Amino acid sequence: MDFRFDIIAEYAPFLLEGTLLTIGLSLAGIVIGTVLGLLIGLGKMMQNKWLAFPFECYITIFRGTPLLVQILLIHFAVVPLFTGNTNGILASIITLSLNAAAYIAEIFRAGILSIDRGQMEGARSLGMNHVQSMRYIILPQAFKRMIPPLGNEFIVLIKESSLASIVAAPEIMYWGQAMNGQYFRVWEPYLTAAVIYLILTLSLSFLLHRLERRLATE
Amino acid sequence: MKKLSGLVMAMVFVFVLAACGAEKTTGDGQGGSDTEKKSVRVVTDANYAPFEYMDGGKIVGFDVDFVNAVAKEAGYDVKIENVGWDPLFLEVKNKSADMGMSAITINDERKQTYDFSVPYFLSTNKILVPEGSDIKSAEDLKGKTVSVQNATTGQSSAEKLLGKNSKDIKKFKNNNLAILELTKGGADAVVADNTVIEEYAKNNPKQKLVVIEDSKAFEAEFYGLMLPKGSNVKADFDEATKKIIDNGKYTEIYKKWFKVEPDLDKLKEQQ
Repeated sequence: MDFRFDIIAEYAPFLLEGTLLTIGLSLAGIVIGTVLGLLIGLGKMMQNKWLAFPFECYITIFRGTPLLVQILLIHFAVVPLFTGNTNGILASIITLSLNAAAYIAEIFRAGILSIDRGQMEGARSLGMNHVQSMRYIILPQAFKRMIPPLGNEFIVLIKESSLASIVAAPEIMYWGQAMNGQYFRVWEPYLTAAVIYLILTLSLSFLLHRLERRLATE
Repeated sequence: MKKLSGLVMAMVFVFVLAACGAEKTTGDGQGGSDTEKKSVRVVTDANYAPFEYMDGGKIVGFDVDFVNAVAKEAGYDVKIENVGWDPLFLEVKNKSADMGMSAITINDERKQTYDFSVPYFLSTNKILVPEGSDIKSAEDLKGKTVSVQNATTGQSSAEKLLGKNSKDIKKFKNNNLAILELTKGGADAVVADNTVIEEYAKNNPKQKLVVIEDSKAFEAEFYGLMLPKGSNVKADFDEATKKIIDNGKYTEIYKKWFKVEPDLDKLKEQQ
């Protein structure tokens, strides 16, 4: 099999820029998605069913529809509604964040629910109010348990950012497809893209593993 | 029980083998007796009205009628499949398809990898802009955002003006998305084959779009059926294409889809 390194070299600067954008999109998705996810997860856990209902709807919609559909809707319909024109990068960040938030909300909920009820009761009997007990007793313990599923979600997020190519956000896959379109070759663009994604996800799981070890108490 | 499952397994195995065998024989246009109709597998990107698009689950359009007429003339059966633009090139290259038909422009770059039939359609790139745009010619595109379909001649025309892989060029999977980007304000212009953007502007008068011609910047292009190198159906299809152009069948199909007379002289010049 002939493998043309010269066309990879030609596209290397673009792929590098694409990689930076992929990292940017993923980071934005992780940060915004985590903050939103925490709020939505707590919202869904509210005692009052009526207050919890909108959060439940949110999770149902964003977890129950394909990301590809969401990204096309947000890019061509939602963003132009507010700003008057399209913006591939903005639409990708919004979609990835909103989508990740739905999954992360469930991860938070699972983490919080996994903490023994005695912890909350103990905290309350020490004189802390509900918020204080959450902040100082429940969440720190829950967070430790949430790291593996969160890590999973972050890795999925990096890979799903490749869908931004459909709205011409110039990330890794966008340039991979441009390369494929110019030379009609498959191995070079997509294998290169696969290797870059693998490096990104491996680095992330390495970081998460370090974090997990630092937080280990036993 | 054991015996029975063994029998089932054997039957499944035979079926799979038979299916594989069948797959190999269809689409292979060579050999066999001449009286038997030969079948060709034609791949397309049915996202390109009026050349090829989906109408209620069926692939229709000018190209579809054309290739059917040519195949009938040449004595072939055609099986048209919608695979998408980029995959189409790979399928023809790998010879898993006998022919690519998707308003494909014949150019030197593509000729390095593929064979083409004789040209069957004359086309030029044009520019689609919103009404009141300050873009009046190809030269005005410099510094503007242009959306195109990835790997089309529209893209290469835009790249000639704005630079290869320029940041101002947005590449989409198909022209519909590229035009959508324009109508939603994400791009200042679309560069694509005239027929497609003229058809779009005509069918969507509410969106107030204008088609700009610049024959100085964009040369005439010719579409051909794209074949794998060394294709054994080329001779038959070339001959049949010439025949239907001469006998008026081509003009009939052309007028059905474009409502105007084709420029046959210019087309024949190229053949």
